[in-house]
Amino acid sequence: MMAFLTGALRGQDLNLHAVRERSRVRSLWRFVHGYRALYLAALLLLAVAALARSSFAWVIRTFTDDVLLPGNYDRIPLMGLYFLGLAAAAGLLTFLGGRLAAQTAEGVIRRLRVFLYDHLQHLPFAYHDRMQTGDLIQRSSSDVEEVRRLFAEHLMGLSRIVSISSMAFVAMWQLSPRLALVSAIVIPISVSVSFGFWSYLARIYDLFQDQEARLSSLLQENIYGARVVRAFAREQYEIAKFERENAILLNRGRNVVRFHNVFWPSMDLVLASQMVGSTLFGAWMAIDGQISTGTYVAFTGLLGLMVGPVRHLGRIFAFITQSLVSYDRVLAIINEDREPLDAGLLDMPQELAGDIRFEDVSFVYPEGTQDRPGESTLPGVLHGISFHAEPGQVIAILGPTGSGKTSMMNLLPRFYTYTGGRILLDGRELTEYPRRQLRRHIGVVQQEPFLFSRSIRENITYGTFRKVSEAEIVAAAEAANIHESILDMPRGYDTVVGEQGVTLSGGQRQRVAIARTILKDPRILILDDATSAVDTSTEKAIREALRNLMRNRTTFVIAHRISSIASADRILVLDQGRIVQTGTHEELVAQAGTYSDVFRLQTSIEAELQADIQSTLEAQPA
Amino acid sequence: MAPDTHQYEEEEYSAALSGAALLRLLRLTLNYRGYLTGYLVGVIGMVLAEGAHIYLGKRILDEGVLAGDLGEVKYLLWLWAGVAVLLAGCVALFIFCAGSVGQAMNYDLRKTMFGRLQELSLAYYDRTPVGWIMARATSDSRRVSELVSFGFLDMFWGTMSILVFLGFMTAINWRLALVMLAVVPVMVGSALLFQKHILGNWRDVRRLNSRITGHYAESIHGVRVTKSLGREDSNLAEFAELATGMYRSSFRAAWLSAAFLPVVQVLAAVAVALIIQVGGLQFQTGMITLGGIQAFIQYIFWMLFPIQEMARVYAQLQQAVASAERIFSLIDSLPEVQDQPGAMEEHSLRGTIEFDAVDFAYEPDNPILQGFNLRVEEGETIALVGPTGAGKSTVVNLLCRFYEPQDGSIRINGQDLRGMTLHALHSRIGMVLQSPYLFSGSVMDNLRYGRLDATDAEVWYAAELAGASDFIDTFEEGYDTDVGEGGSLLSAGQKQLISLARAILARPDIFIMDEATSSVDTMTEARIQQGMEQLLETTTSFVIAHRLSTIRNADRILVIKDGGIAEMGSHQELIRAGGYYHDLYRRQFRDEKSRTADPFFGSRLVHA
Repeated sequence: MMAFLTGALRGQDLNLHAVRERSRVRSLWRFVHGYRALYLAALLLLAVAALARSSFAWVIRTFTDDVLLPGNYDRIPLMGLYFLGLAAAAGLLTFLGGRLAAQTAEGVIRRLRVFLYDHLQHLPFAYHDRMQTGDLIQRSSSDVEEVRRLFAEHLMGLSRIVSISSMAFVAMWQLSPRLALVSAIVIPISVSVSFGFWSYLARIYDLFQDQEARLSSLLQENIYGARVVRAFAREQYEIAKFERENAILLNRGRNVVRFHNVFWPSMDLVLASQMVGSTLFGAWMAIDGQISTGTYVAFTGLLGLMVGPVRHLGRIFAFITQSLVSYDRVLAIINEDREPLDAGLLDMPQELAGDIRFEDVSFVYPEGTQDRPGESTLPGVLHGISFHAEPGQVIAILGPTGSGKTSMMNLLPRFYTYTGGRILLDGRELTEYPRRQLRRHIGVVQQEPFLFSRSIRENITYGTFRKVSEAEIVAAAEAANIHESILDMPRGYDTVVGEQGVTLSGGQRQRVAIARTILKDPRILILDDATSAVDTSTEKAIREALRNLMRNRTTFVIAHRISSIASADRILVLDQGRIVQTGTHEELVAQAGTYSDVFRLQTSIEAELQADIQSTLEAQPA
Repeated sequence: MAPDTHQYEEEEYSAALSGAALLRLLRLTLNYRGYLTGYLVGVIGMVLAEGAHIYLGKRILDEGVLAGDLGEVKYLLWLWAGVAVLLAGCVALFIFCAGSVGQAMNYDLRKTMFGRLQELSLAYYDRTPVGWIMARATSDSRRVSELVSFGFLDMFWGTMSILVFLGFMTAINWRLALVMLAVVPVMVGSALLFQKHILGNWRDVRRLNSRITGHYAESIHGVRVTKSLGREDSNLAEFAELATGMYRSSFRAAWLSAAFLPVVQVLAAVAVALIIQVGGLQFQTGMITLGGIQAFIQYIFWMLFPIQEMARVYAQLQQAVASAERIFSLIDSLPEVQDQPGAMEEHSLRGTIEFDAVDFAYEPDNPILQGFNLRVEEGETIALVGPTGAGKSTVVNLLCRFYEPQDGSIRINGQDLRGMTLHALHSRIGMVLQSPYLFSGSVMDNLRYGRLDATDAEVWYAAELAGASDFIDTFEEGYDTDVGEGGSLLSAGQKQLISLARAILARPDIFIMDEATSSVDTMTEARIQQGMEQLLETTTSFVIAHRLSTIRNADRILVIKDGGIAEMGSHQELIRAGGYYHDLYRRQFRDEKSRTADPFFGSRLVHA
């Protein structure tokens, strides 16, 4: 399925489904598959580099004991060379380790990015209904970046500290096990102090960030409400309000400073006492003759190397914890099931007739969909929906907001799966058709269609999977009544739509979407509220464009006004998820019921208007 | 907010380092003299203590260990411990002062920016995206403060350490110190050069990163279209291409960065090898002691950290100065509309309102009003109708002095608007907008925004007049109900009613309603009209509306078209004239009737 991928990604295993694991450690282990050896090598190289650096001690000791003190001055240049050699080796190893780590980090993150991108576009409608777009964008940008830093920085930092300290300990052990043991006393102390401090910092830092967020939303409200603030001359009041929160933020920021203010000096003092103790002990051993002078000199060099870095452990662990939280947030997306695009019939027919039959269809939204904030109307549910649409017919669906019109139409491309009854397409149940193939045959035009921020040409060809000639694009644009408007734009068909380009009016957007659908050439067409024009000036152009589009297709027209649906082959009147009436316009007008009520009211308005104008004209001037 | 802000980060890539902005930033830093003094004392103490530690280590080796004098070792270690306590004190002072400068600067920048934002005219908000302003007050402000606290100051610390260590080295052995004096500039210079090279690479990474985020954002926003068009595979192929480009750039930047530290360390090792060589020679002639050589080696290692830090600061500098420049551009923006010298604090806006030959355009080549004249008597209710963008809202915006006319004048009771303070003007005009903005907080807080010292009873009365009390009473927590951010927990109609009540409470001399009740159902609309009858009777009012009942009740109807008044008169007169208003009326009549008569709308689509 990924065979079309080009360049560096071809042949790589991009599948991350295996990371769906309850245990985080196991999940991370699978997350780095393909890079394990590389990353391990990176960590190992760091350790060897640390070993090389600790070997400086050996050079120093030899330099002191065997060269300087006995007066073997001819060996001095050799010592310098040893030293340079070790340093070059340490540098090279550190660099190579860093390079391998970078390769791992960037590699696993590219895989994550690509997988996540693909995963998001394969998650079902129900998932996207439930999630806020801002949250998803946040997870796929900042959280992914945080995961990258886990591999590129935090884990490397951790292993750097561990390998430097432990290698220094090993080297010191070589010099004198007793000295090494005495000098290591401080390590467990500073590690635990560091941990305690940093978990405390995490809490006060959270408070700081909460306040920062509060201040940001206060500012945002002020900007959005600028007109209200001006209209009520409340500038001073707003400044005082902002000032209160700003001062709180200042205080919380100072708390963070205060933490560092206590932490670093106290760590310094802990380390200093170790230095004093160890130096005294080492000096005594040297004077007592238990160790050589060279050993003492080498030891003082190692001491700082061993005990210095460990105080950073707490900070690194705080970062790692933060990264793992981000990893969990990304994992939560990956853990969602995709909708299978290709599951279904093997022998998908090339051509569809477009015969659609609903048989006692019912549908309830999956759990959680309704809780979406900011959604005032509950999505409609469907009960016992039955009707038959023959190929090429126009079926209109009339009903108030929330009656289930859109829900019903969302079942056709299998955006959602019906929960009862069955839907037949050309005599076979809808669930037998693979989604991908099915959707190629269905076109949807909405009242406010989404266009992508690319050129108009690309937007028109967006749903077409073959080479499209310029003539075809122009023909589609002409049929959609948008060709002229496009030519008037600064760069014609190459005009980029959206934030970085030209803002199209609602009517223009709609006609671009119609052109897109004409080129897609689906058997089945769904016009979701597309007939109630966005702006009256383009109403006629849109009606004409839609007429061109509907030719020879099975069409469903969703509307809540009667005007444009009277010519439909069949009208379904939907209310509270049920079909309450069905028939042609003529039949329905003749029946007593909702439809004829609506129709009568609309026709009576004309008469009323005439009467009103007449009475105004006849009245005596005021 | 996230997708909004990231695109404004891109500006940094082209910006060259601005000397003026840097200077101004340095001057700003000087505002915190107290902390700066503390900081200087702390840093100098700290650097001296570190230098002294290494020096004491030398003496312990030479005068204690080599001399075999344990007593001397103990004495020197006491000194060492004393210096350590001093060092800890200086570290505390240094962190406290640097951190405080950062926090204080961040606080002051936010405060200044917010204050300036309250003065800026609406025209500024029209042309400046919200995301841009937000980025200035959040990430830019933080970045600048960090630069000042742990950037400028670290630069000073780094320079000081190198200088002080060189001083100690000179004291121990000046010839050897000369060797170091030759090596250190090479180390610092190459570190900076290398860092600059790395920087360019990271810039590419950031640019690509914002494109990746953009792709994600669009793909998530447009997921339904992608699905219905079956574009998944082509989208993925495109994105994989982009992600691969990102991989290449960031891998390159990352391994270059990985080379930085080893390179500096190898340079340091060259210096150490030189010390071993030259120091070894000098040892033969007794010019340097063993402890001296050891101290030199340690000084070199201790210099690595400052050099690294200075390279880091250098990397931040350009970005942070660009941030500072953008902050300054906000702070320096001048409000288009300002109080003029000697402007009066008028206490009443009652009286005749006159527009005298007013010209106005939002953008220079797109005039909205041209030679606009209008005279409104006290207590009149004026309805403004006309096509979208013709200037209905502009008329009331000019009356509020949200914008300044390019030519002509506007007078209230003979007094030019420019002769009054903005505060006087705004506090006497009540304005209700079509998409009203509520602030997060309770219903009560929002109502009281109209008049801060209103009693509860007055607030309730205003809510009743505005037809808002009915739905507020149905809330479990009544007037204490939280309205959510921007009023998001309420419906559009409810927000309109609250904003209407808010304006009524302000007891304005002039009342402006700009499509104020467009989302309110007809029943409620009728009740509002009843409640406001008395208010509209005595107060000069401007009503922009499409609802016929509202328009018909006005004393005068103005059709604003093509930069001026196309038709003017009572409902009856304008119907007789058979012009724009006549057509508008017929269209609107059909629309409204079918809306109210439609059984669907009648039964369920009640907004408020």
